[in-house]
Amino acid sequence: MQVRNVVALKGPNIWANFPVLEALVDLGRYEDLPTDKLPGFTDRLMEWLPSLIEHRCSEGVRGGFLQRLRGGTWLGHVLEHVTLELESLAHLPVGFGRARGAGERGVYKVVVRCDEPVFGEACLTAGRELVMAAAEGKSFDLASELTRLRAIAEKVCLGPGTQAIVDAARARGIPSVRLTERSNLVQLGYGKAQRRIWTAETDGTAAVAESIAQDKELTRKLLRSVGVPVPEGRVVASAEDAWAAALELGLPVVVKPQDGNWGRGVSIRLEERAAVEKGFQIAANEGSGVVVERFVPGSQYRVLVVGDEAVAATGGEADHIVGDGQRTIAELVERANQDPSRGRGPSHVLTTLVLDDISLELLRRQGLTPKSVPASGRTVVIHYNGDLTVDVTDQLSPEVAASCALAARTVGLDIAGMDIIAEDISRSLESQGGAVIEVNASPSLLMHLRPLKGEPRPVGEAIVDHMFGADQTGRVPVVAVTGSRRLDTVASLVGRLVSAAGYETGVVDAAGVRAGDHWLERGDVSRRAGSLRLLLNPLANAFVFAVTEKSVLEEGLAFDGCQVAIVTDVVEPPPNPELDGPSHTWRALRTPVDIVLPSGFAVLNADDPATVSMTKFVKGKVMYFARSLAAPPLADHLAAGGTAVVLEQERVVLLKGRVREELVDAAALASADARGLTVTLEDWLPVLAAGIALGMTVQAVQSVFSNEFDGRPARDPEREATGAATVG
Amino acid sequence: MKLESKRLLRGPNRWSDLTLLEGIVKVDAADAHDACWARLTAEYPELCARVFAGAPAVKGSALFWAHVVGKLVVELQVLAKIDVAFMLVLPLDAANEARFVAEYLEEATAERALALAVELIDAARAGKVLDLPAEVTALRKLNEETRLGPSTGAIAEAARARGIPVRRLTDGSLLQLGYGAQQRRVWAAETDRTSAIGEAIAQDKELTKQMLSIVGVPVPEGRPVESAEEAWAAAQAVGLPVAVKPRKGNQGKGVSVGLRTREAVMGAYTIAAKYDRWEQVVVERHLEGADYRLLVVGGRLVAAARRDPPRVTGDGTSSIETLVATENLNPLRGDDHSTSLSKLRLDAIACEILAEQGLTKESVPALGQVVVLRRNANLSTGGSATDVTDIVHPLVARRAIEAARVVGLDIAGIDLVSPCVDRPLEESGGAFVEVNAAPGLRMHLEPSHGQGRAVGEAIIDSMFARGDDARIPIVAVTGTNGKTTTTRFVAHLMRQRGLRVGMTCTDGIYVEGKRIDTGDCSGPKSAKMVLGHPSVDVAVLETARGGMLREGLGFDWCDVAVVTNVGEGDHLGMNGIHRVEDLAAIKAIPVRRVSTRGVAVLNADDPLVAAMAPLCPGTVIFFSRHAESPVVVRHRASGGKAIVVSQGSVVLADGRLERRLASLSELPITQGGLVGFQIENLLAAVGAGWGLGLPLEALRFGAETFASHLGTVPGRFNVVTHRDSTVILDYGHNASALLALQEAISGMRHRRRKVVYTAAGDRRDEDIIRQAEILGGFFHEVYIYEDQCTRGRADGEVLRLMREGFVRAEGSPRIIQLTGELRAIGAAIGGLEPGDLLLCQVDQVELALEFVTGLFRQAESRSLSSLAQLAAAALAALGMMGG
Repeated sequence: MQVRNVVALKGPNIWANFPVLEALVDLGRYEDLPTDKLPGFTDRLMEWLPSLIEHRCSEGVRGGFLQRLRGGTWLGHVLEHVTLELESLAHLPVGFGRARGAGERGVYKVVVRCDEPVFGEACLTAGRELVMAAAEGKSFDLASELTRLRAIAEKVCLGPGTQAIVDAARARGIPSVRLTERSNLVQLGYGKAQRRIWTAETDGTAAVAESIAQDKELTRKLLRSVGVPVPEGRVVASAEDAWAAALELGLPVVVKPQDGNWGRGVSIRLEERAAVEKGFQIAANEGSGVVVERFVPGSQYRVLVVGDEAVAATGGEADHIVGDGQRTIAELVERANQDPSRGRGPSHVLTTLVLDDISLELLRRQGLTPKSVPASGRTVVIHYNGDLTVDVTDQLSPEVAASCALAARTVGLDIAGMDIIAEDISRSLESQGGAVIEVNASPSLLMHLRPLKGEPRPVGEAIVDHMFGADQTGRVPVVAVTGSRRLDTVASLVGRLVSAAGYETGVVDAAGVRAGDHWLERGDVSRRAGSLRLLLNPLANAFVFAVTEKSVLEEGLAFDGCQVAIVTDVVEPPPNPELDGPSHTWRALRTPVDIVLPSGFAVLNADDPATVSMTKFVKGKVMYFARSLAAPPLADHLAAGGTAVVLEQERVVLLKGRVREELVDAAALASADARGLTVTLEDWLPVLAAGIALGMTVQAVQSVFSNEFDGRPARDPEREATGAATVG
Repeated sequence: MKLESKRLLRGPNRWSDLTLLEGIVKVDAADAHDACWARLTAEYPELCARVFAGAPAVKGSALFWAHVVGKLVVELQVLAKIDVAFMLVLPLDAANEARFVAEYLEEATAERALALAVELIDAARAGKVLDLPAEVTALRKLNEETRLGPSTGAIAEAARARGIPVRRLTDGSLLQLGYGAQQRRVWAAETDRTSAIGEAIAQDKELTKQMLSIVGVPVPEGRPVESAEEAWAAAQAVGLPVAVKPRKGNQGKGVSVGLRTREAVMGAYTIAAKYDRWEQVVVERHLEGADYRLLVVGGRLVAAARRDPPRVTGDGTSSIETLVATENLNPLRGDDHSTSLSKLRLDAIACEILAEQGLTKESVPALGQVVVLRRNANLSTGGSATDVTDIVHPLVARRAIEAARVVGLDIAGIDLVSPCVDRPLEESGGAFVEVNAAPGLRMHLEPSHGQGRAVGEAIIDSMFARGDDARIPIVAVTGTNGKTTTTRFVAHLMRQRGLRVGMTCTDGIYVEGKRIDTGDCSGPKSAKMVLGHPSVDVAVLETARGGMLREGLGFDWCDVAVVTNVGEGDHLGMNGIHRVEDLAAIKAIPVRRVSTRGVAVLNADDPLVAAMAPLCPGTVIFFSRHAESPVVVRHRASGGKAIVVSQGSVVLADGRLERRLASLSELPITQGGLVGFQIENLLAAVGAGWGLGLPLEALRFGAETFASHLGTVPGRFNVVTHRDSTVILDYGHNASALLALQEAISGMRHRRRKVVYTAAGDRRDEDIIRQAEILGGFFHEVYIYEDQCTRGRADGEVLRLMREGFVRAEGSPRIIQLTGELRAIGAAIGGLEPGDLLLCQVDQVELALEFVTGLFRQAESRSLSSLAQLAAAALAALGMMGG
């Protein structure tokens, strides 16, 4: 079995309305060897990947795929399921796949859902090897393969926090675009309606607030001034001064760097002079000033504040190991680190235990060294600030929540992680001498998404709700124009109409890519790349994209939904059995129609039966255009109260059920300024329909039409601009 | 001459509205004044000519030396280029002491100037001389270091010009603009809306280019590279010459431009790699043209400058070294940010650049030959800036605005390399090479050539809508008695309106009803806390004498200043204030600082308070218990507002128009109209609410719902009844307060009157005697005690003075003397009989309240025990019966 070619379709495509990987797979001799003819194949496969039992496949029940394996299915189909399973095991659950014959005997198109092509291809390759190993009765080291795939996922996929935000946005219908290949910088929404996130920062997260949060001393001063409990403390100049401060504040104390994060260089509960001085050195090594604070007894908690609300809280315990009476502390630490949930980096729930200076000092104070062998059951603390793993959101007292929200507001952060020490999170900090010990910008969300104990919290949803009001979708009007012929002309005209209606419009057609009156690229460039570039433009508030069949088949769409999809016509190519199977023309041209938003319109050519047959796939409303009222679907459509734009006795009219309004005279269309395009009367029909579909009134369409297309020489606003422009 | 004390008056104060350094000097008869003076004059003639101008004729006096020190503080600052002038000298009680106040701008500089003044005098006395020019330079340096930098300074100045209050939150450049919930922040040239993501994008040059290309802004071709070899390969690919820069970095650090050779490119790679944390380097096509900086603020292009690298022009005879030295004599070139040009540096980097041009320091360039000393044009390394704002082509401006927008910065400095800036980029071939967050503003504020631009104003205008001064309403309440009750009453009125109230008073700071600090919070620091709190919509600030004397006001302007009364005064004899008139001058400070649209609410029945009316820049609302008060009548006749009691009702009078608020009997705080001073507090509070524009209905509802009990105003005339006896808890501790209490108690039903009292030790003898005289004339039984804290007096002295007062009193009360507040209260409550009325003066308010209410609670539940037994048990529990 060979994979001949892999295409990443990064947007809606003929298979699905989301990104997929499309692989051309040649089964070779296995075309004649379905699974039931491969002895032991199914058993080997199920032993390696027992979770395949969950795959329902076409049977629609748990174990459905297993039934197919036992009954006999082709390896292309197996490859699809195995790839999906590897994606799920190594990263996040995915469930969409297809395997279809590609026209040639033994050659299949295997399609799997995939957001990051690099990771998807790696899974596909690994999947092929696994299937071949199962087919040939060879061994396969699944564990090490999964480790490798996880490493790739960690490198190329969005981090878990960012992914949670993106998923929450998607669930609300807000589109997202990753702005760079490797970082977590993501745009939510399109054009002018866009917002940005970068991990747990939004574009509303102020740089000034981050700088404040970085400076622990300034943060403490500000929090104290608004009455948020903070530990007493001060900046110290030397080890000696640290001890002096410790005596002023009262023992025990905490010594930590003035700037910094993640508890680095923080020594806790110091009581002796030597320990305080050592703590000073450790903190000073972090490179900023050093702070000595009164030690606050209690456990550490992390409260996540989003907007003005505490949305999640997590508690934890100190990093520790438990003795077994045989291993040394160093060995116990190493053993603990073998737990796969431990690791460095944001995608691990637990951090790797390290025996650093602070731990060694801590051990010393417990009368231990790394070589000590603690008695069985003895708990040895390695680090006081350990991993936060237990969800305690439900216990969080309203007073503590209010203190946290006030602290975030005072520092100026829209999203903040508050480190709190308290004996009991369900009582106010004041009542128990608890304190906010640190304010973190861009906090990790993982502990709230995947706590080891307790309920995961929808923090991604909270962040999206904070960024987008209930009525905001991040969308601006997108008009997709597709068809076999004339689509570029129609798109170009729709672009002018929408611009003239007052939108800062991004247009992609055969002539190039332009934003408003500014050309970004000229020539027939990649439709997807051009469209994507425009969708990122924060100035544009409407888009018109000419979508070719080729671009859908080879790239997928750049957008996940549109307000208006226009289909001019469908012309099937003559059958060519030597090429890759049956024609996908109709399916490709239907793709924009599939993603018409519920509030939107599909504008379809009523004179073309192939186009009309797309009607049943429209999730929004349908508007037909036709050269005459005689077009077959019109009667029923209008009888049901539908809308249509029809050429009728030298006039273009808008029909809404039984209501008829005149739009434009055919004479005006004939003499309209088309800026060098060859425009037929029929081309105007979908253009005018698009205006109506976008919500313009008949009068507005008429007036925009007569102003924009009045046959006078074209204006060039770039030349006319005067004064420093203001972009709102 | 010796400096006895000093302090900084950081807000409007009794002397002035300026920030002042206040000091007291003391002279010793043994001082050799003339010799000292003569030496000063001889050594520093110019300085002394200014210092001694206007000095008192008698040279040895305390006033003379106070003048010299104060004037020195001013003149030394002036020499250090600090714009100050105000100075004042005042006599003190002791003839050998005098006070001076001198204007300052920066605290650290002021302290240093004062120290220097004293050092100069001490040195002269010891026959020594200081290096004055060096000291002045050091003072100027200190000022440069501590004051706001030019960029932040311009923003602060623009804010103040619009009436927006500015407060520095750190020693650095973090500013709070505005008060409370209206406040915004800036930090250097970043606002609190400058997005961290935008900043991160701007810091990554490669990502910035990606972003700019989204909107079609021209950027130089190029790509990131990971080795010197790759840098050279990339250079050849994009075409020579090239620029090499760190992927992340700022201020042009590590940037090399105009590179043509393999060695140069690879060398530049090594330099650039040092400036990027991940050693990521970008190679770009070198663009021909000048460096321009376009400053975009809030979607507008507000300034543009051409930046030229540091250079010298040959004269045919001088070496480069000489040319640089000559140019550095230019007074426009300085060592710091205070001048429009920095000094040229002939350092290692410059020598490298010279070498590239085939030159050394010693080379003599031909006449007119331009020799550049740096590849980049940063001002800090000697570059110059020429303002070109007016010639920027609108399309170039538009591209710059789009660039700022797509990166996501509200304030952005955009670097353009282009042969010109007055033609569209498509024509000129220019490209944007960088977008900078927190751009320096100096090149626009004070360009080396051309017009300075009001960029501070532009930033402020982008942050605040026209007419928005970022203020919240501020009510300042001062006076001798009734401040706390009035403050709490006003806070109550505002809370009824759904506003988030920040309140300071003698028992803490409260925000949204929650206490965020305890203790006496009636000073400027507490006021600043409230005004800095992000959840405060309106501030109600009890403003006591102590804080105003110590530090001045904690705010610049208020909307309403309430003065309850001055009466016979309190704290007389302290801080050199002997007369009630002096005290009145201090209580008038908030009145002086009422904004022109604001209101002073003044007690018409207190002549000293009524006399403050002309000081108020805004309007005046008088309040009076007597509708026919001549002050009120006159004020109303000229169309003024007043709030008075007329026929048992509170009436709001606006000229001739009268509106009735409510009958006194409907207003719980007045106890059915019986408690006179509470009526005054009510009038003052309602006056403040009226002054803030509350409608009559809101004032009425607020007044009807505010009672003085333990929960609302602890320790302020809290009346607690137990069976047939009445206990009143109050904080009153001066003659005026006692007279007011006496008036109030007279209207209440009772058989015998008892009081628990002690006088504060830091009052004048006559005041303590007077208080006892009042008590003795009114109460049948007086429990007096002395506390641990006798405020500077010897043990027993306060009680001795009080006994002296009792002797003078008209009545002959029974005196019971005890030790400790709670013991006295316990004994008095233990001795209560039906029909008794006991006034407990509470000093440790919370402790005493808890004790008394605890006792009564127990007495209610355990009816068998007598109050006396309970009191004894409670004191025993507190460990107080033993001694």
